[in-house]
Amino acid sequence: MNGFRKTHDTILSVHDLRVNFASEAGTVHAVRGISFDLKRGTTLGIVGESGSGKSVTSMAIMGLLDSNAHVEGRIDFEGENLLEKTDAQMSELRGKRIAMIFQDPLSALTPVYTIGQQMREALVTHNPDMSEDEVRARSVELLTLVGIPNAEQRLNAFPHHFSGGMRQRVVIAMAIANNPDVIIADEPTTALDVTIQAQILDVLRTAQKETGAALIFITHDLGVVASIADDIIVMYAGRPVEHASVGEIFSHPVMPYTMGLLGAVPRPDQAKNARLVPIPGSPTNLVNLPEGCSFADRCPMAADICRAGEPQMEEIGELGVGSETAQAHRVACYRAGEILAQHMTFRDVYGMEESIPSIFADVPREQRQMVLNVEHLTKTFSVSGGGFLRRRVGTVYAVNDVSLDIREGETVALVGESGSGKSTTLLQVMNLAAPEQGSIELFGTDVAAKMSRKERQMLHEKVQYVFQDPMSSLDPRLPIYDILAEPLKVLGMSKQEINTRIGELMELVGLKPDQVDRFPNQFSGGQRQRIAIARALAVNPRLILLDEPVSALDVSIQAGVLNLLEDLQNKLGVAYLFVAHNLSVVRHLASRVAVMYLGHIVEAGDVDEVFDHPQHPYTKALLSAVPVPDPEYERQRERIILDGDLPSPTEKIEGCAFASRCPLYKQLSEEQKRVCDTQRPSLVGGAAGSEGAVSAGFADSLSTERNTDRIVACHWTNVA
Amino acid sequence: MLRYVAKRIANYCVMLFVAITMTYFLASAFMDPRSNYMSRNPRPPMDSINHALDNANINDQTPVITRYVRWLTGVVTRWDWGKAPDQSSVGEAIVSRMGASLQLVTLATVLSIVIGVSIGVYTAIRQYKWQDRVLNSIATFIFVIPPAVLAVAVVFFAIEVNTVAGSRLFYVTGLHSYQGENFGLWFLDFLQHLILPTISMTLGGAVGYHLTQRTYLLDEMNADYVRTARAKGLTLNQAIRRHALRNSLIPTAQSVAFSIAGVFTGATVTESVFAINGLGRYFVTTIGQNDINGTVAIAAFSGVCTLVGALLADIVAAWLDPRIRLN
Repeated sequence: MNGFRKTHDTILSVHDLRVNFASEAGTVHAVRGISFDLKRGTTLGIVGESGSGKSVTSMAIMGLLDSNAHVEGRIDFEGENLLEKTDAQMSELRGKRIAMIFQDPLSALTPVYTIGQQMREALVTHNPDMSEDEVRARSVELLTLVGIPNAEQRLNAFPHHFSGGMRQRVVIAMAIANNPDVIIADEPTTALDVTIQAQILDVLRTAQKETGAALIFITHDLGVVASIADDIIVMYAGRPVEHASVGEIFSHPVMPYTMGLLGAVPRPDQAKNARLVPIPGSPTNLVNLPEGCSFADRCPMAADICRAGEPQMEEIGELGVGSETAQAHRVACYRAGEILAQHMTFRDVYGMEESIPSIFADVPREQRQMVLNVEHLTKTFSVSGGGFLRRRVGTVYAVNDVSLDIREGETVALVGESGSGKSTTLLQVMNLAAPEQGSIELFGTDVAAKMSRKERQMLHEKVQYVFQDPMSSLDPRLPIYDILAEPLKVLGMSKQEINTRIGELMELVGLKPDQVDRFPNQFSGGQRQRIAIARALAVNPRLILLDEPVSALDVSIQAGVLNLLEDLQNKLGVAYLFVAHNLSVVRHLASRVAVMYLGHIVEAGDVDEVFDHPQHPYTKALLSAVPVPDPEYERQRERIILDGDLPSPTEKIEGCAFASRCPLYKQLSEEQKRVCDTQRPSLVGGAAGSEGAVSAGFADSLSTERNTDRIVACHWTNVA
Repeated sequence: MLRYVAKRIANYCVMLFVAITMTYFLASAFMDPRSNYMSRNPRPPMDSINHALDNANINDQTPVITRYVRWLTGVVTRWDWGKAPDQSSVGEAIVSRMGASLQLVTLATVLSIVIGVSIGVYTAIRQYKWQDRVLNSIATFIFVIPPAVLAVAVVFFAIEVNTVAGSRLFYVTGLHSYQGENFGLWFLDFLQHLILPTISMTLGGAVGYHLTQRTYLLDEMNADYVRTARAKGLTLNQAIRRHALRNSLIPTAQSVAFSIAGVFTGATVTESVFAINGLGRYFVTTIGQNDINGTVAIAAFSGVCTLVGALLADIVAAWLDPRIRLN
């Protein structure tokens, strides 16, 4: 339609926007002076951690802030100040000229209306004259554009019939329904799996191209914006601290906070070469803001001037090295001059830390003791019909024939999309009971074996669990002392011993021992996860099961917790079985990795081996979907974007479970396809690394020597 | 859908049978209709007492199992729910009182729902504004007053009005007193009787709906999909009306479905205060008078009403919420 309006003129301009909220603790200064100009057809990324004010900024533009918000400044849209408009005037713009996409697609659609009804509303609200036929035709057109197959029929479906990724597509379709000039996307992919994230980012690019709209992309993940944004604003504690083109931000970050955000994140595309360096401290409290620069307390470069007054955003002018765009690079930092003059990088600012050598460093893997050995583990859930008798109508194979082993002092990661059976595998190990099928052996003892109560308790002590969300895994009404003392009391330790042990534990996880009388809510998220780890360590376990241990934490906090886990392993020799969807974290922490798809392990092996030379088409797709915080790399990168979602686990699949989404499958001959459709591939030793110069043929019949312990479940790894 | 309902009804019949049987044995174990005769002065001869008790099938000298089988045969073959100790028919008593209950409770129930839900929506949209605070304070105040006190207060107020007006505008007992043929006058007389119990019941009922509906709507108003609707260009009020309201009505509709059962089983306290012979009072009376058959019959009747309410609640929920499937 009117896709190519004049590009590069300013459509939206924000001047010194300030937002305050009244709260019981005092006034929350959520946004403290942000300004930017948004040009047509461009994408602005706003990056920051929770509490940085990025979402509040977007809600202020939409005019959707709560009534207790106090907003100052100007938001000019086509020469009119949006802040002076009434709700009725704003609703004429919302959805028509300025549209928004939200974070959680599962709750963003009204559950009681069909997709068609909700699409219709988006169209009719602004075009009351549209006929039913026109509405229908346009809805189908939009849904097809965002990649919903059979759009005509899906109009009558309800949101709960759709997966998360599909619902996000519907939300995008509604947002672009009226060809808006500005689209605001607030963390649109955060709640989705990486493979779906890659699809949605693609859809957003298409949507932007079709409408010619300017896009504001809000995220905490620098990797995601690297591929989509033209300009980036980094926010901290309600203020912008750095604003530049995407290339500049990634190649020459100036503000120490930006450097920290980039440096504290492990890279999925690079082998772990050094220890992560965390940004010290925890995010700034927005009620009691410090006098000077709000980042000063956490900044290694902070000087007296930084604590005296807040720095303003200033252009760094010609100092920007190798800037390929004319876009000005602006930064709010008193020490920017020095940083630029000395070409300081993340390492110079934050320094280096040495890793503690592992106590098992010199012991080859084969000689270490086996901690966990899982063989052919299978876990099913029955799906029962409704009614009086609750007949069994189907079986879900949550975990299907999974085998893995962990030795002392190593970390094994399970990765895969949600629904792949990672967490169920973890829970089966935690159960310490005979599995439905297969066997679980801990430290050489089969858990199915008959044991006395005492013996079983001993086994329990050696396996501990750390949960994803430290907010809900610690009892809010118990002081830290009691939380840590609980497992020790079970062991029958004396009060004196418990006190000593708790002191040790607090120091071990980097907390002050005199804080034990505080309650969990007096700690930050990262500190709480440290407490959860201390609780797991209390009984000297030899295996810790980690279920997404850092995914609920802010980027700047994650590094600290990852370092802690690494140190503890090196010091104590404890083994980890680790579930995560963040593949960068996996690459950094794990020594071995198993990729799961629909309850099966499809590929497993040494972490660098699997990440650098993936062989299974699913592993390849999964890795290629991970965004890398490097715009240069992102631009050159070939993405494999998987079609569709994970098939329903109730579906009975004869052959390879991945065949329905497999990019390789599409290229195969009919005869080869038949093998995929009829035979379940078994895990066999894969071709070694990159020099897998094996002639095309059945991977099953490979006679090459196994020079790695890599295993792959695919008939055709050598064809691709 | 029909299959589901049929299945549920079959299921309920089994539950009802078990519940009624248990009530029969419990009532037979605890109630002593013989004492009704024994305490009379002068005491009737033993033979005639036994004869009367046998006639009503509540003689404690007959084994309870025999009485139960006899009673059950009567219910199943003749729809005869037995007799009270004074030989009156239980079935007839219930039917005549059901009419009174229906007249009394229907209007109050409808008004409670309409007024309560409307005020709930009104206050939720104006959360923490003065209208919300005032209405909430009043609601909380009424909520904590026991229904009997509330009814007596209404009576007291009405008598004051009658005194000031100098004529009888409001009747404080019964449902009817007009004896003539004129329908208009009959209806006016009925309203004059009905208005006071209706006010006292509506006050209590509406407050409940107001407070719950307000909470339900507030929960939904902050839902993400309301924000999505506003981002599409709906004003706050449109978004609430079209999106939040329908979702918030689902739990209310379910409790309305349950309350329909209450229409038939009556309102004990209100009936007592206003001297209306409804089912609520009848229930209390049967227990007081050792009326085994009456107690069982009314237990069966409220059982049926409650289960019908539960079934209605399920159907209503499935009708309003496409995520719920009845199968």
